Amino acid sequence: MTVTATPSTVRSPAIPIQRIGLGATVLAGIAWILTLPPIMVRTAVPSIVLGIVAAALGTAVLRDPKHRRLGGLAVGLGLIAIPLALAMANQSAANVREVFTWSAVIASGLTFTTPLIFGALGGIISERSGVVNIGLEGMMLMGCYFGIFGADVCHSWLLGIVIGAAAGGLLGLVHAYFSLHLRANQVVSGTAINLLAVGLTGYFFIAQYGDNGTPGTLPQVPNVSVPLLNHIAFVGPAIGAGTNVLTWVGLLLVPVVWWFLFRTRAGLRLRAIGEQPLAASTVGLKVIATRYVAVTVSGMLAAVGGVYLSDGFDGSFNFDMTDGRGFIALAAVIFGKWNPVGALGATILFGFSSALAYRLQTFSQTLGTLFQALPYVLTLIAVAGLIGRSRAPAAAGIPYVKE
Amino acid sequence: MTKRFGPVVANDRVDFDLRAGEVHALLGENGAGKSTLMSVLYGLYSPTAGEIHVDGKPVRINSPSDAIALGIGMVHQHFMFIPVMTIAENIVLGSEPVRSGLPLGILDRGTARRRVRELSDRYGLAIDPDARIEDVSVGMQQRVEILRALYRNARILVLDEPTAVLTAQEITELMTVIRRLKEDGTAIIFISHKLGEVLEVADRVTVLRRGRSMGTVPCAGATEQSLARMVVGRDVIFRLDKQAATPGEPILEVSDLHVMDDRGLEAVRGATLSVRAGEIVALAGVDGNGQTELVEAITGIRHPAAGRITVDGTDITGRGVRAADSAGIAHIAQDRRRVGLVLPFTLAENLGLRGYRKPPLSRFGWLNPKAFTALAGRLLSAFDVRGGDADAPAAALSGGNQQKLCIAREIDSDPRLLVAHQPTRGLDVGAIEFVHGRLIEQRDAGKGVLLVSLESEEVRSLADRILVIYEGRIVAEFPPDATEEQLGIAMTGGALTAGTVTAA
Repeated sequence: MTVTATPSTVRSPAIPIQRIGLGATVLAGIAWILTLPPIMVRTAVPSIVLGIVAAALGTAVLRDPKHRRLGGLAVGLGLIAIPLALAMANQSAANVREVFTWSAVIASGLTFTTPLIFGALGGIISERSGVVNIGLEGMMLMGCYFGIFGADVCHSWLLGIVIGAAAGGLLGLVHAYFSLHLRANQVVSGTAINLLAVGLTGYFFIAQYGDNGTPGTLPQVPNVSVPLLNHIAFVGPAIGAGTNVLTWVGLLLVPVVWWFLFRTRAGLRLRAIGEQPLAASTVGLKVIATRYVAVTVSGMLAAVGGVYLSDGFDGSFNFDMTDGRGFIALAAVIFGKWNPVGALGATILFGFSSALAYRLQTFSQTLGTLFQALPYVLTLIAVAGLIGRSRAPAAAGIPYVKE
Repeated sequence: MTKRFGPVVANDRVDFDLRAGEVHALLGENGAGKSTLMSVLYGLYSPTAGEIHVDGKPVRINSPSDAIALGIGMVHQHFMFIPVMTIAENIVLGSEPVRSGLPLGILDRGTARRRVRELSDRYGLAIDPDARIEDVSVGMQQRVEILRALYRNARILVLDEPTAVLTAQEITELMTVIRRLKEDGTAIIFISHKLGEVLEVADRVTVLRRGRSMGTVPCAGATEQSLARMVVGRDVIFRLDKQAATPGEPILEVSDLHVMDDRGLEAVRGATLSVRAGEIVALAGVDGNGQTELVEAITGIRHPAAGRITVDGTDITGRGVRAADSAGIAHIAQDRRRVGLVLPFTLAENLGLRGYRKPPLSRFGWLNPKAFTALAGRLLSAFDVRGGDADAPAAALSGGNQQKLCIAREIDSDPRLLVAHQPTRGLDVGAIEFVHGRLIEQRDAGKGVLLVSLESEEVRSLADRILVIYEGRIVAEFPPDATEEQLGIAMTGGALTAGTVTAA
């Protein structure tokens, strides 16, 4: 009797893979916080050991396609913990305490997150309808300028938001016309939109405000102080007092957009059109009209993110001030798998790493730059499919031609 | 109920009428205008002249919405689904139940699920409303298409080649469903190539040929012969005339082959087989038992995980398509539209896709357009490819002519072994006859032919030896006179339990 080999069977491990992955992630998390306040271990050694162990376990977990996401997370967190711990251990305790004043980190993180949330929500709505919107950056920039302009001319930050959103929506309409009506390549059209927005806002900015820049006495989008929350220790300084109206609106919009996409009739139809427009049209749905609306709304949302940047956070407009935030929002869409809740997670991750980078610059330029790169590295990992392949709406980017 | 169509490009003064509670079959060759006719009915095209009447009243159908409103439901040949959505979502899409009394159109998913379940119970179409379309079988997807039409209160149901993608078991189930719908008073238009099915289920048959109606006849009293004559315009030989095989030395030898599928699961699990010169070996089996992966490994498209493939003693295991080509393997791909042809390319270019690297088609890396034209001129007439000249795009041809184009190219490469993967899928009787004739010709010319087919009738009429594949293994071998039943049992794994597997 011969024993036949079965090459495909893998012996089931003693400990479930998922639990190994979770354990590795927890270890990586510990590696992160050991050198940070309030624990503040003053040597990097334990963090380095934990980081390496977590990365090694994570690599093992990565081999199982079902738990790739978890494995990738553990590897990423574990590896990043090592330079972080080294840097922290080499800094003076006072410096570390200053950077990692957690309430201040959270407050700063939220300001970096807010424009990304609006941009990402806009991107999700457009791409879920089947139109790739690489023009988010330009639409956001329109919001930046016309938000300030509107607030200045109308003496009202609220009308500033409305006018900014309208400007972004108009640019969205242009993108929709090019990609839907003329069936232009959506990436090319989006890129043109971005260049157009830089030129338009730059022109209007100089024509209107000249060398002096936008006036310093604009009605700005206010910060709000939440009753009760604002007096609690830690919570108060973090979110209770002085968080912008638009930050709250953005956070609130996440469940709203989720609800719209997955619980309403219009959302179901939007998703159907983004997946299989031909199938959707055979049950009587209007593909082109829906996409027009989606791309326009997308532009309006991105623009509100822009209004926050200029009239909410900065109080002024500067040439090309979005500085790639539209693209990071697009990355958040992909990283969050075209789901508002996932995208929120991604924008928070990106926003907080930007906030840390910003704060770290005060005492370490190199570490600050490292954190600045984090969002891009994570997005590359996500796009490469290491952290669970993200699947775009099937029809995204393909012009719809009725047969 | 009367519908009339005037001359559309593909339909020339076609009259067609359908009564409540009848199954009216529509027969015709590929490209005869059946699909065009139905597209007009469903509002995807508008007629250039002529009228459509529903319940005696003239109507205009400008969009699918109009058709749906008139109670016309369509089960498309290529299913129209959103694969990532659930069955219930796909069924209600376009006319979703929403919570009453609330604004914004909030989906009422409970009602949607309940109504889908009610419908499926009423017609005995067992489905799970919460399963995703992409996760269920093709047969199940078709039931969902039917339910979707019924959900919209369809009284007229168009089934466009509904059996082309189904297994024998699923076809039987579909026939039961059709009869039940008919008892309910639903009028059904049944489009098919398969004469046997038409005779089994239909009340009347209308035959289209080149856009014209060849007449409508009741099924009672019609035979496969008489219908085939109407479709093709001449007598069709159903029984293949072939001599007994005189097999020579083995050409293809596959031993203990293991191949993974796209998901990394083992689809072929130790297949061993051989094909000798001058014989047709048919690989029979239910779809999805590793046939595709086996063929892809033999033709060099897919890298096998283990095992050995030789052609005339030369090892080509995992060496890629070019090695398989040089060893003399020709491949009639199962998906002619995506694998077999480059649709936007011209007929001449498609015909040159195998020989383009060698003279006369190219010299020192430069293509020779005249040689392409000459090649096309020779092959298009030899293989009777109709519907376009050498400069026409392959996309312009009907399915049958596209298949002839593929076969012309592959046979012209003068192969040692011809691998034909479902070569007659979706073809009409005339084209099937042609393809079968070519395969036997190749065999008689001393080539080896490996035929992979899901149709047990095709397998039995063509093969000199029948191998049955089940779950990635060759589980049985039969002579060509095996009964349908014997094959059926082996194809569903019955041979395993009967203990007929012999140790290698």
